[in-house]
Amino acid sequence: MTVHEVTRVYCPVCQAKFRYVEGWKEGDIVVCTVCGQRLRLAKEGGEWVGTRPEKGKDSEIRARVDEYARLKGYTFNDMKEELIEGLIGKNKLFGDFYCPCRMLHVPEFMCPCKPTRGGDVDRDGKCYCGLFWKKT
Amino acid sequence: MAEKPKVYALSTCPYCKRTKRFLDQHKIEYDCVDVDLLDDDKQDEVLEEIEKITGKRAFPVVLIGPEVIVGHDEERLRKALKL
Repeated sequence: MTVHEVTRVYCPVCQAKFRYVEGWKEGDIVVCTVCGQRLRLAKEGGEWVGTRPEKGKDSEIRARVDEYARLKGYTFNDMKEELIEGLIGKNKLFGDFYCPCRMLHVPEFMCPCKPTRGGDVDRDGKCYCGLFWKKT
Repeated sequence: MAEKPKVYALSTCPYCKRTKRFLDQHKIEYDCVDVDLLDDDKQDEVLEEIEKITGKRAFPVVLIGPEVIVGHDEERLRKALKL
């Protein structure tokens, strides 16, 4: 039996490895299919990794939440802009875009947080802070 | 009113901001603690207090006399403040 190993790309935001698509090359901008982060492809020690070309910029988190909602088929409500302002505030105060409604500033609470990526929106209709909503 | 309402908030949380805005708009004097801006020791102490009162660590928390309101809830705020 032949085992076909899938080539993957490491995402520094969600820390997951998503599937590499044939034809991608170093320097390409791709989207992490797990969290929606825009990444620049690089190769480190023979492994594909993504780097954050807009790290810490407001445009980074705005693109990430839009991409994530698009990937998952989620929607937003009228709190979107206020919640994004909260994410930008977290980045200013605590160094990255952590959930604006949580106390802890740990990687698993970087937006979209781990519970959201684990299915909270599909189960509860929305994520913890109410940024992402299930379409009705 | 005997005692000023107390608000526990996160400085980045838009629901906390809405609660503070609501109280400001109704000219209610209140004490507010932005828990995320406290130093570590004080933060632990306040978080324990919040957990004891509400059973969780969710924000905002508003204490109005015996009333404990978790989350931004204008209807409950109006009722508790007799607005």
